[in-house]
Amino acid sequence: MLKIRNICLLQRRWKSGKRRWNVLQHKRNNCDRALETFDYFYGSVYGGRWKNMRAALLTEHKYVAMVNNFGDTEQTCSMLELDGAINIKSLIRLAIEREEIGIESNILHNRHAHYDIDDKLESLLRKQQEREVAAIYPTAAEDGHEPPKQLSYDRKNSDIDTKGQKDSEKESSSLEFTQSLTKALEQDVQVDESRIVDPQFGTGGLYEYVPADSIKGMQDWVAESEHYKYYQTSTDFPLIIEPEAIFQYPEHLAIYTYEMGNCAEFKPPRQCLTGVLSHFLMDGASVLPPLFLQVQPGERVLDACAAPGGKSLLMLQTLHLDQLVCNDVQESRLNKLRRVMQEYLFDYKQRWASKRLIFSQSDARNLDEYNSYDKILVDVPCTTDRHVLLHQDNNIFKPTRIKERLRIPELQAGILANCLRLLKPGGSLVYSTCSLSPVQNDGVIHMALQKVFNEYGITARIKDLSQHTALFSDIYRFEQPKGLKYGQMVLPYLPANFGPMYFSKITRNT
Amino acid sequence: MWRVLFKAQKVQQLKSLNLRQLAAKATAPKLLQLEQIHIEEAVKMEPALAIYTPEIWRRAHETFQNHGLETMSFLRIVTGNPNILKRTPDRIINTLEIWRACQFGETLLHLLLTKYPELLDVTDAHQLLTLSSYLKSRLSTNKNVWKVLMNSPDLMAQPENLIEEKLNYMFDIMRIEVPEIVKSSALSLPFEDLRCRHIFLVRLGLFKPRPLKADPDEPTTNHRLYQITDTSEKSFATKICRVTLPEYEAFKELLARELERKSRKTEAQDEFSDED
Repeated sequence: MLKIRNICLLQRRWKSGKRRWNVLQHKRNNCDRALETFDYFYGSVYGGRWKNMRAALLTEHKYVAMVNNFGDTEQTCSMLELDGAINIKSLIRLAIEREEIGIESNILHNRHAHYDIDDKLESLLRKQQEREVAAIYPTAAEDGHEPPKQLSYDRKNSDIDTKGQKDSEKESSSLEFTQSLTKALEQDVQVDESRIVDPQFGTGGLYEYVPADSIKGMQDWVAESEHYKYYQTSTDFPLIIEPEAIFQYPEHLAIYTYEMGNCAEFKPPRQCLTGVLSHFLMDGASVLPPLFLQVQPGERVLDACAAPGGKSLLMLQTLHLDQLVCNDVQESRLNKLRRVMQEYLFDYKQRWASKRLIFSQSDARNLDEYNSYDKILVDVPCTTDRHVLLHQDNNIFKPTRIKERLRIPELQAGILANCLRLLKPGGSLVYSTCSLSPVQNDGVIHMALQKVFNEYGITARIKDLSQHTALFSDIYRFEQPKGLKYGQMVLPYLPANFGPMYFSKITRNT
Repeated sequence: MWRVLFKAQKVQQLKSLNLRQLAAKATAPKLLQLEQIHIEEAVKMEPALAIYTPEIWRRAHETFQNHGLETMSFLRIVTGNPNILKRTPDRIINTLEIWRACQFGETLLHLLLTKYPELLDVTDAHQLLTLSSYLKSRLSTNKNVWKVLMNSPDLMAQPENLIEEKLNYMFDIMRIEVPEIVKSSALSLPFEDLRCRHIFLVRLGLFKPRPLKADPDEPTTNHRLYQITDTSEKSFATKICRVTLPEYEAFKELLARELERKSRKTEAQDEFSDED
């Protein structure tokens, strides 16, 4: 038992408590890593505008409410309207009227924008490589040695590549090798005499000599600059960019939002008479890719990376669909998707499951029902810029996932290329990511178009949506002036904190 | 009420009152006599003074003069706080003694009282001494306490736990040193505003806390604390952060909601763990 006397004698512990600087110091976590990478990368891509996007990305995002057409639609609409929300359909009608009055004055004003992003990325790649070389050879400059120009680790690590890419890479690498060797022979005329193998002692040793291609202890090291190399600028496939002719807002779709600057929240969904939930809350920018896909009645549609299901649900809510195939790679993600559909679709078991709504679990690169879909939504896995900055779990900036992260553009291009093959000739797809990175956006589209042209002879046209995104400019902040080649992008902006969302519409040529 | 008074006072005086100028002004004209013309001028500036007789004026002037305050300072104090003339010399002397106990030194004390005549309304010696000793314990010298009071006199009306909260935030999270704190009026800002401005700068990437082992002589790229706290909403957003005002306003709203949600979450967790 504790006596009072003992309490008096208890000594105070002076050294307890966390007061040392190394304890107090903030431990670097995955979100910090992501932020650091973005600061460097996007800081040089977007310049001064990055800091506004940064603040927006780190702050809560804004939702829109999609009314469920299988529930008490009118009641839900009036409830949302009472809270002050506005139907996007009416906003668009207003924008169209305004445009008709103001005549096509500011359309196509920046069709021929100079893509200075190309130069920026090139210099970024160069700088990053220099930094990495400097990190390995810290004293190189002081010693007066010329640092090796390029360490091409990708040659060794690109086993995951598809066969075709491997071949082309092999060619290019062998080309590089001969070039550099001849160059070296020309330049290094002064040969280090002490290292010459005298023929009189036999040249047998020379035949066994294998030049080093990796540094011991750094076999697993992956250079960040490898990621930027995916952004190519040379075009050797037919590239047509043409404005999209028409845009129709689906008649039955009701999406509610608050005006720019209003950060109010929506009420949580409630149960309707039919047993489904009244409305679905989703990031505002996610409604754009399925809207621009323009699903028409009687079409067969594929959502290549469907979970968690917001975009698929939106396409179902247009009531146009004939059949929707939802594909995703993981069982758990597919279960999530199934749950959402059960919650929102009336009579799910009898009318929807495996009749008009089909689930398939597979890697989108391995789907093989070629030439069979009218429309495809390709919402690829990406660095999900908002998620990686705010959440620790499932964060792709985890150090052990570095290879996966740097190879993301390869995966995306693989999926997109395969989806182009799945399209019927004349069908169209929308490629979308929630990343600001030009490598994962324009870079991937470029890679995929090149790949399908080289390997399968498929050509495609890119639809310029800028005329139609102008209708949404009251709600979203778009990338303006347009520094993008192939698509449109919603930028995070504090009063309208949607996105980031990049999307591009591609039509397969007949 | 204190705060409102001081805010008005500060807006009036901040522009014109550079400390040195004031000191020069106070010492330059060695006026030792209270003339009728002074009284007339004072009444013109502050009509409430018209009700007092010349005898009262003379008595109060003498009291202040005996304690080292010159005529100019006296006039400034009286126009700033007319109620002083109502008081008996004993009460005035008492208040001055209370202030003297803070040990700012005569000159500095006179400057403080001339700048903020409302400070002469203090009657509770104990409260003032507690506050000044608390501030001294956090800011290390009496001079720093004086500087802080010169910048944010409404500290007198703030409870100690609120001041503590702000000081802790500035020391531990913003990692700002004492000299910078006493040069700004950060302590008159409500804690929520201070935190909001700081977090906004951090999220914009414009404010990086000093590393714990950084060399103190190394200059920072951060904005100075007085730039962050002594500006209006609009100039803070446009001049310091270089964003538009709507962006900052939206941020304030979003951050308030975010923090509220976070606190609710931790509360819920606490409850949960208690039940366990």
